[in-house]
Amino acid sequence: AQRHSQQDSHTQYAQLGKDVTIQCGSVDRGAVVTWTANNTDLDASHLNGSWLVLRHVDLSHSGQYSCYEGSSWHLKYRVNLKVGTPPKEPVLMCRSNNYPNGFYCSWHLPSPTYIPDSFNITVKHDSKEIVCEKDASPKNRCYIRYLHLFSTKKYKVTLTVTNALGRNSTTISFDEFAIVKPDPPENVVAKPIPNNPRRLLVTWQYPSTWPDPDSFPLKFFLRYRPLIIDYWQHVELSDGTSHIITDAYAGKEYIIQVAAKDNEIGTWSDWSVAVHATPWTEEPKHLTTEAQGTETTTSSTSAFVVPSTTKMYDSERQAN
Amino acid sequence: RQSIQQTYDLTRYLEHQLHALAATYLNYLGPPFNEPDFDPPRLIGAEAVPSATVDFQLWRSLNDNARLAANYQAYSHLLCYLRTMDGATPTAMPTLRHSLAHFRASLQGLLGSIAGIMASLGYPLPPPVPDGTPTPNSHFLRKMDDFWLLKELQTWLWRSAKDFNRLRKRVPPSAVMLHLETRGF
Amino acid sequence: LCGHIVPESPVVPIGSNFTALCVLSDSCQNIPGNVHANQIIWKTKNKVVPKEQYTIINQTASLVTFNDTSTLVSPLTCNILVEGSIEQNIYGIQVQLGLPPEEPKNLSCIVTQTEKDKYALPCTWDPGRNTFLNTKYYLRHKWVYENFSDCIPSDGNNSCTIENAMFFVNVDVWVEAKNDLGKAESEHIKFDPSTCVKLLPPRKVSVNVSELPTVLKLSWDNRFDLDLELEFNIRYKVIDSLDWLEVPPEDIATRRTSFILQDLKPHTKYVCQVRSKIKRWAEATWSDNCPARWSDWSKEAVG
Repeated sequence: AQRHSQQDSHTQYAQLGKDVTIQCGSVDRGAVVTWTANNTDLDASHLNGSWLVLRHVDLSHSGQYSCYEGSSWHLKYRVNLKVGTPPKEPVLMCRSNNYPNGFYCSWHLPSPTYIPDSFNITVKHDSKEIVCEKDASPKNRCYIRYLHLFSTKKYKVTLTVTNALGRNSTTISFDEFAIVKPDPPENVVAKPIPNNPRRLLVTWQYPSTWPDPDSFPLKFFLRYRPLIIDYWQHVELSDGTSHIITDAYAGKEYIIQVAAKDNEIGTWSDWSVAVHATPWTEEPKHLTTEAQGTETTTSSTSAFVVPSTTKMYDSERQAN
Repeated sequence: RQSIQQTYDLTRYLEHQLHALAATYLNYLGPPFNEPDFDPPRLIGAEAVPSATVDFQLWRSLNDNARLAANYQAYSHLLCYLRTMDGATPTAMPTLRHSLAHFRASLQGLLGSIAGIMASLGYPLPPPVPDGTPTPNSHFLRKMDDFWLLKELQTWLWRSAKDFNRLRKRVPPSAVMLHLETRGF
Repeated sequence: LCGHIVPESPVVPIGSNFTALCVLSDSCQNIPGNVHANQIIWKTKNKVVPKEQYTIINQTASLVTFNDTSTLVSPLTCNILVEGSIEQNIYGIQVQLGLPPEEPKNLSCIVTQTEKDKYALPCTWDPGRNTFLNTKYYLRHKWVYENFSDCIPSDGNNSCTIENAMFFVNVDVWVEAKNDLGKAESEHIKFDPSTCVKLLPPRKVSVNVSELPTVLKLSWDNRFDLDLELEFNIRYKVIDSLDWLEVPPEDIATRRTSFILQDLKPHTKYVCQVRSKIKRWAEATWSDNCPARWSDWSKEAVG
């Protein structure tokens, strides 16, 4: 028989792992009906009269359920069943990577709910509510402009997440200075320095998101190590955006990263993108046979060549 | 000859000192004052401590005189409060008393440096701070005042570092030195 | 008392002249035979002062004059010869000979780090000649707007340590010397204590072998965490050698906690040491008055 499918669709939510009962709309409980799931007939074991009972539902139970009157195959009721979970406590993080313009708060749920959730965020400072401008994307983020600087009052941010199965919220409070974390430095470049077998020149730039380097200078932390060795060396630089590594292993490729922090407040940025460089090495000479002879003699007599850049001195000369 | 660079360094040195001192003092005050999320209301006593909080655009547009004067006035007040705090620290805590005295002397140095720079740039010093800080009538309220004083101090030093960073880039050292020479500093 | 000497306890500059007056009082009258000032005999220690140095002022007062102090030995006594050869002492005084203090010279201070965040300011100076008197020395220091209590030497007279050096404020330091004959003040030196620190040596210096036989990894901890630029010296030598090799200072002129030593003799034990200094910042005013010093060398590290 031809099924008549003209019916506006309802939505019903069910919690993962629970039992679900779906009524056939306003049809009498004793009426004889047939249920389909995504147009597949369901056997009578799921029925309790005209009600559909699904046990310990899982995600696969999500779908469209239709109820047809027994003999006339007339569609009496249609529902979209969505199986999911109530929201867990959301994870909320606020950070200022463009201090002192403002800070953004972003959030996520520790585990998916599989059903639509709605988020509501309120920001309070000095008992006044401040607007948190929602970002077009990513969706789970909004932006707060600093109206005042150097505040001793904490910011209090409350995020509430709601879906059909429940609701949860989290609140964090923090000082203005505590959430300042610049983005990593940009355009990190490392280059060998001609005629210097142990030096590398590293340059970088302020993160482009840092709005006012002049008034809010950053300090930097540089780490470097040969690719073949798992031992970082660190140098802290209170100003400037370049540094010369002076003790690079001769001829070894290096990996170099830089991080940044406001001079006074907040935390260090993540490490920058890693760059690679190898110190300058002397071009191998195209030796004639004669030259090669003398070269060999020289190198064999002075097994211990004093490094050209190291000064020899005896301990007496060592005055304060 | 006190330069703005020195005053900038002094501010950061004070931040460094206060970082350790504040932690020690809050531990001396004990819970809840030494808990990271402690966020008490600011009571009358503490309200009188000049707040470093400032409208962002206003702060950006301050001229040098106003910027220096705000700092001078703040530390004049804060030093008065700090003296009362010094008196309250028990003699049984010599290290804390020593650190507090050292910090207060350095802060006095900062006030003097700001005054020196203002004088050298031809700016009038703000009027002196009226004596007498409101003394709270309970031990707990006294601790609350101390809590807010320390927080305000930390915030002012953070602000001053930014203030002097701006000043040292805007006011050439020679401008300060020249005047100081003629004033016999 | 039958009389007294004026002045009571004089302090007399060496090489100057000195006069004292002995005045007989009424109570002298009970000495038999009418006493007169011309009977007074002055003595230095037990030696009679020649009569030429006496001047009788009147019946009761006799003046003695010393044109140079070489003969002026304490005590100076005023005595009277009564009835033949009996000599009676009337009065005596102690005369202190000495010199006013000279201007203390070569005042020099160095900020010494005593603990992680503690810095003292020991100063030394040359007190100049001996004054032979109780001379007090005060090391004084002040800021433009603030005076501090004096530092009084605990022993000796040519050094004192100001307990708390405070950075980034120019301090004016000088020495004042004072005794009964005068006062002198050294030249003032003005400096910012942060420019002349002698740091504690780096610690936890360790040497680790590296993947390459001719390379050693030297690492250490700095005990100074203010945001000032540091520079280092590193020296190293083969364990039994006397000849230190030194890493070029320009290679270790930024704040760091490690350095890779290269081109070493393979499979050889080396001894290494590190020392550090605060780098002079561009605008350090008057840092020539109090230049920074190198810390002592760290303990030796062997690797």
